[in-house]
Amino acid sequence: MSLARGVGAAGNRIDTVATQTPSSDPRPPLAPTERLFRAVVESSPNGVIMVDGRGVMVLVNRETERLFGYHRDELLGQSIEMLVPAQLRPRHPDLRATFHASPQARPMGAGRDLFGRRKGGGEIPVEIGLTPVDTDEGTFVLATVVDIGPRKQAEEELRRSNEELERFAYVASHDLQEPLRTVASYVQLLSRRYRDRLDGDAMDFIDFAVGGVRRMQHLIEDLLAFSRVGTRGAPLVPTELPSVLRATLDTLHAALEESGAEVTSDEMPTVVADAGQVAQLLTNLIGNALKFRGAEPPRVHVGAERIGRMWSISVRDNGIGIAPEYFDRIFVIFQRLHSREEYAGTGVGLAICKKIVERHGGRIWVESRPGQGARFTFTLPSTAE
Amino acid sequence: MTVSMGIAAAPIEILLVEDNPADVRLTVEALKEARVRNRLRVARDGVEAMAMLRSDSAPRPDLILLDLNLPRKDGREVLQEIKQDETLRHIPVVILTTSQAEQDILQCYRLRANAFVTKPVEIDQFFQVVRSMEQFWLEVVKLARP
Repeated sequence: MSLARGVGAAGNRIDTVATQTPSSDPRPPLAPTERLFRAVVESSPNGVIMVDGRGVMVLVNRETERLFGYHRDELLGQSIEMLVPAQLRPRHPDLRATFHASPQARPMGAGRDLFGRRKGGGEIPVEIGLTPVDTDEGTFVLATVVDIGPRKQAEEELRRSNEELERFAYVASHDLQEPLRTVASYVQLLSRRYRDRLDGDAMDFIDFAVGGVRRMQHLIEDLLAFSRVGTRGAPLVPTELPSVLRATLDTLHAALEESGAEVTSDEMPTVVADAGQVAQLLTNLIGNALKFRGAEPPRVHVGAERIGRMWSISVRDNGIGIAPEYFDRIFVIFQRLHSREEYAGTGVGLAICKKIVERHGGRIWVESRPGQGARFTFTLPSTAE
Repeated sequence: MTVSMGIAAAPIEILLVEDNPADVRLTVEALKEARVRNRLRVARDGVEAMAMLRSDSAPRPDLILLDLNLPRKDGREVLQEIKQDETLRHIPVVILTTSQAEQDILQCYRLRANAFVTKPVEIDQFFQVVRSMEQFWLEVVKLARP
């Protein structure tokens, strides 16, 4: 095997011994380069396999031996197809030929799950990168094989744990409502039937009990809404934001009227989104602009700006603003910056916003200074590439 | 005068199908404030409800208040059986539930429920709802009494 004695300085090109050193005794000067090349390939944390134009393995490293369970002597000189799962094996030579016809570096089997066949027939999930390597002996292909078994397993565990959490939140919310309603009903029935016979203290206690129950009900409703972002989302489809914004302002009609707010907007684009969730997002953000208003009547502007493949939508207000040290905290569930006496709320609204935006593959952030209003910006994917 | 005396002579029979004793009592308390004389009987689950409806000794109810989530046989099955039964399907069934889920509402009307009512959270509203039901079903409309 004359190949891979040395590696040329220029990228992928590996020169054979003869071309690089035309002298009569080429080996000694090349030895350091060869050792370096072998050391790099050998110590790679990924499996590295080089095959020739006929699909014969001419070089493998230690990780390849570990991944596939073969000793390198069992691999070198054999066809690469021995590492391909049985059901793909008949088609593999054609796939190789296609790659060889127009070789360029790329991941193999884009978008599909790839498997490698181990000694004894077991299969392992892998990711494979292919790089053509030109030599005087023809084009070789360098395949880099990554064992993604552990990653797959971690992803699967994460998915299961997320699903369980969302199911738990949903069920807990539903089942928690029932006893809570009972408590509220009977405390209220006490006050309804026995008001005349109770003194002021007793009525205070009843009010505290009812207040606590109401707060718990709001928390549960919001928790339910939070869990629904993941479990009840509609597909992401082209969505016209002008009508979503109109619907949002209709929903907020009473609050807008009451606060004397003025809302303006840029021309709104069409984005790829779940219309219901974007409406919820805008309702929460514009609702916050009204809720955290300053002395002046609220002025809210909804902006739109195209940035690459995304649209960036912003909601700017002239309200009380937020100190920079709280910028991250406000997006965390149940985090609040004000007492309940100052502002009502459960601290779930912006967490829902964040979850919605992230489900769309976007980001959300805030720019603000205390007393100088706030600008919340989120990104959503645009329709055209 | 004669009409109201007629009603007074034969109290309205209501069957409440509800497994939560707290909710049963709440409905009882609300109906106590009712103007129309009524007799309320309670079934704690779907199986008991169907047994009472098909029993020869128990009186046929004039109105059925039906919860959806019940042990053994749930409200949807009870509703379906009532509306498929020649001798029961004329009895108005009002679904009285905590659910506000759209698929529950649609499914119940498809199964021929006569009304779908979500139990309000506030007790004053709950009493108001029971009073409205009572007024509509027991005073406004004429019920069939075969």
